[in-house]
Amino acid sequence: MSMPLRETPTEVRELSYAEAIRDGLAVAMERDERVILMGEDIGVYGGAFQVSGDLVQRFGEDRVVDTPISELGGAGIAVGAALTGLRPVYEFQFSDFATLAMEQIVNQAAKLRFMLGGAVSVPLVMRFPAGSGTGAAAQHSQSLEAWFGHVPGLKVCQAATPYDAKGLLLAALEDPDPVMLFEHKLLYKTKGPVPEGHYTVPIGQAHLCRRGGDVTIVATAVMVHRALAAADKLAEEGIEAEVIDLRTIRPLDRKTVVESVAKTSRLMVVYEGVKTLGIGAEVSAMIAESEAFDYLDAPIVRLGGAEAPIPYNPDLEKAAVPQEPDILEAARSLVRGRL
Amino acid sequence: MPVEVIMPKVDMDMTRGRVAAWHVEEGAAVATGDPLFDIETDKAAMEVESPASGRLHHIRAAAGAEVAIGTAIAWIYAEGEAVCDPPAADTAATVPAQIGSPEDTAEPMAAQHPRPSDALSSSVEKARATPQARRLARESGLTLNVIEGSGPRGRIGGADVEAHLLRNEGAAAETTQGWQAEAGSLVVHRAGSGKRTPILLIHGFAADADGWQKLEPYLAPDHPRLKLELPGHGRSPKRPVESFRGLARMVVEAFDREDLPGAHLVGHSLGGALALALADVRPKRIASLSLLAPAGLGPEIDGRILSGVARAGRKDSLAPWLRELVHNGTLISGDYVAAAMRARQDPALRAYQRDLAETLFPDSTQSVDLLAALERLQVPTQIVWGRADRVVPWKQALRAPGRVALHLLREVGHLPQIETPEDLAPLLNNLIRLAELDRPPMTLDAKGVAL
Amino acid sequence: MLETATANLPFAVRQYSAEQLREALRKMLLIRRFEEGAEDSYTRGLIHGTMHLSIGQEASAVGACMPLTDADKITSTHRGHGHCIAKGAEVARMFAEFFGKETGYCRGRGGSMHIADVTKGNLGANGIVAGGIPIAVGAALSAKRLKTGSVVLCFFGDGAGNEGAFHESLNMAAIWDLPVVFFCENNKYAMSTATERSTAVHNIAERAAAYAMPGITVDGNDFSAVAEASHVAVERARAGQGPSLIESVTYRWRGHSKSDRNRYRSKEEIESWVARDPIGRFAELLREQAILDAEGFKALEDAVEREIAAAIDFAKTSPAPDPLALTRDVYTERPA
Repeated sequence: MSMPLRETPTEVRELSYAEAIRDGLAVAMERDERVILMGEDIGVYGGAFQVSGDLVQRFGEDRVVDTPISELGGAGIAVGAALTGLRPVYEFQFSDFATLAMEQIVNQAAKLRFMLGGAVSVPLVMRFPAGSGTGAAAQHSQSLEAWFGHVPGLKVCQAATPYDAKGLLLAALEDPDPVMLFEHKLLYKTKGPVPEGHYTVPIGQAHLCRRGGDVTIVATAVMVHRALAAADKLAEEGIEAEVIDLRTIRPLDRKTVVESVAKTSRLMVVYEGVKTLGIGAEVSAMIAESEAFDYLDAPIVRLGGAEAPIPYNPDLEKAAVPQEPDILEAARSLVRGRL
Repeated sequence: MPVEVIMPKVDMDMTRGRVAAWHVEEGAAVATGDPLFDIETDKAAMEVESPASGRLHHIRAAAGAEVAIGTAIAWIYAEGEAVCDPPAADTAATVPAQIGSPEDTAEPMAAQHPRPSDALSSSVEKARATPQARRLARESGLTLNVIEGSGPRGRIGGADVEAHLLRNEGAAAETTQGWQAEAGSLVVHRAGSGKRTPILLIHGFAADADGWQKLEPYLAPDHPRLKLELPGHGRSPKRPVESFRGLARMVVEAFDREDLPGAHLVGHSLGGALALALADVRPKRIASLSLLAPAGLGPEIDGRILSGVARAGRKDSLAPWLRELVHNGTLISGDYVAAAMRARQDPALRAYQRDLAETLFPDSTQSVDLLAALERLQVPTQIVWGRADRVVPWKQALRAPGRVALHLLREVGHLPQIETPEDLAPLLNNLIRLAELDRPPMTLDAKGVAL
Repeated sequence: MLETATANLPFAVRQYSAEQLREALRKMLLIRRFEEGAEDSYTRGLIHGTMHLSIGQEASAVGACMPLTDADKITSTHRGHGHCIAKGAEVARMFAEFFGKETGYCRGRGGSMHIADVTKGNLGANGIVAGGIPIAVGAALSAKRLKTGSVVLCFFGDGAGNEGAFHESLNMAAIWDLPVVFFCENNKYAMSTATERSTAVHNIAERAAAYAMPGITVDGNDFSAVAEASHVAVERARAGQGPSLIESVTYRWRGHSKSDRNRYRSKEEIESWVARDPIGRFAELLREQAILDAEGFKALEDAVEREIAAAIDFAKTSPAPDPLALTRDVYTERPA
């Protein structure tokens, strides 16, 4: 946990990831009248993953706005609202549906400030339930965060814990620029300590979750938990893995990763998005270009999603993205010089 | 790495010398200091001693040959070290690289289905090595083709370079006989010309007075600086230490010898514990006490790092441990490591420090608890600690009494005086200033007793 | 008697003062000369890239903006120079933007296709067809939620009416009763494709029925007709009665962009529209109503010519952006 020491101590409860986001939304809505929620079925239904829950009862339909199934229009309305004084939080029901709204996100939200020479800003927050593992198959299971990470003007985060999910959301709501929050669906029910009230987790700062000297494992979202579980097993074998949760993929926390790799001399990047041209490519290239290059003592390893859409069959679905045993085996090979 | 044997300049106006005779044959064993060869100049004849232990190879100047001074005339290889071409060898004498030998091209399968790696190895006559191995070899002046790679397809890894270096050093290490007890006072270096109460700086384990260099320019210039060196560290004698108390007595003795009216103490790590012990027995002469990541406040200490530093006999084995000491490993540059290693070249010093670590921190535990001393102390005291300290956990500071000020530095490891001297110095200067506001600079009365 | 006489007068004459009408004509002239000046500068190689000219559509831009205040917003299109001037922008800073200068409205980062004076309520021209429509609805959502009392007028073309964003936006604006006016400038062609070949309905305004809002088609070259339709829709929006759709039928005299070779329309067709020049028609109305005589019109033209010449001069002599500041404004710089 990266709990800031300076904050006034508040009660820390065990909340699920979904509850933590809801808590963050409520804190923001109480603090700032301008914060509104938009999305499909986020009102009485409570959101497809029960993130908004009872917020419509607490804040009313004017601030928890059920949109028609119109992702492009809905996203664009959120952009326009952000441009003119509101602080909308737009929920995509599944991150896959953002493909319908790419125009507004990529051409408008990301670029308006730049195109208008700095005369405007777009303080927009978008939430994307993402990732596989729920049996929802190819159109409801993708991890598209790297697409957005490729767009200057956007900031892209992936919280792995309830604490970070709330802290990054609140940081996003204070950010003057559009922030895309990717939430892995398997994490929604995971629990963790979450302080009451307001706190933020800085955007652009990775979290060093576990120290170790033998290999650096850079992971995102659900892969952080798989990497940590693998690291515990590796420790029993005498291999100490250092695990870094990137938390933000744009802008990347170069310093934390470079320092770690300079120490461990070995790098492995674990992420759920399709392996090719993804987060792993960026982190690897960043290391190859950095002062840590001279410390590399083995090839860099990327564990990413398969070169296939996410399949329905549960065994195939598991096989399509890195699992704990994959991380374990790759780390062993890497550290024991078999790669 | 083989050691060069050169034609030495033994006379002021000598430019060339003639090898009169070799005392050791090609391939024979020789020990440091053994007579190696005789030289003749127009004025005199003299014996040259062997600069290293090992076996003599590549004699380039036979008896009777005359060569310019400074020319390498032979090399001494460590026992067991692979004999290869000497680094400055005449290129004509090197074994030609085996590129495109008939066997390679006669393999039809390989030609039809070249694996990428094979294609690379046959077309690029270059050692296969990781960036880490290349860096280590570069820093040690090694060429990669003398090192055997243990990785896939013969790739040389960092560990291979280290193993190679170790093998070469192994022989040398065996010849060291630990350390010999010495006597004498601990060395105190003086710097600065200020007239106010001096600052006494006590370094930590495996450091020395030079460790304060980065901090000193930031310290208040009107206070002279006294830099104590612990036994077996820097230039201080290797006095046997049985316990922390014994070590503390030596520090008190050195302090007494300086006969100071008073001093502001700054101690780092082990030096912090010693500063605290000193303040405990000479409270009236201590104006203020600044403890940097001090030992003595809790049981935990990373003995692995301490013994790693103490044991390291080469830059390459020292560097990873030095990086553990700081938050930002990139601070530990090649130059920094080289300087640190220069100060630790003496194997006896390393052996002494190894034993000292064992005495003071058995099983990664601090054997001394100075909390009571800290409780007793009345002088203005502060603790400064890096939050990223991996040697001694900063949370030990929380045991200090409320009277003691605590500064926790973000993104700083175990060496605040090196990692962030510009942030540390104001804290030190402030306490010194505040302490002197409380009471005037210390002076001696007529009888030489501190007031 | 008096009432009847007034009732027969065109809306604009009844609604606006002589001063306002002369100013409207001046803006139409300014748009025309601005675009001619831009075209000339382009020919001389002073302008990079391309541009989309709206010559012939001036009554539509100026008429639509007549009921708007600086607090009201517009969203604009790739053919947005007229909207920008109609909403109050200075031509000098517009030229500076076209010339890619640091003094331009977008500091040389946007060019013709992103031109906007945000301080006058213009949320930007947009390079994506229909890109501004949802944004306008979002701005209307802000206005309603923040109770600013302002209205958003959303310019788009006939081509945008076939984008999904148009339909999604009209639907949401209607279900939430948002203060937005959808203002379609139907200039007959989406690049080369005629509305008859691309659009199922005869009049785009008919699509309003699908979203339960008023829809009206007006002669876009008749300043008064445009102003009247806009006035009614803006009043309705301001009163909280929700959105409207206006179709302003007009014509661009020039090609789609600078690379258009006009293969899809005839010379005769273009000439028939030039004969319906919105500026000539509006000047004639003001002459008939004794609001501006020929001499006054000449004076107006001269003043506009001088303004354009000075603006081009300002743009030419303005500093270029510093390449080192390339990434400025990608993100908002915040004090550390």
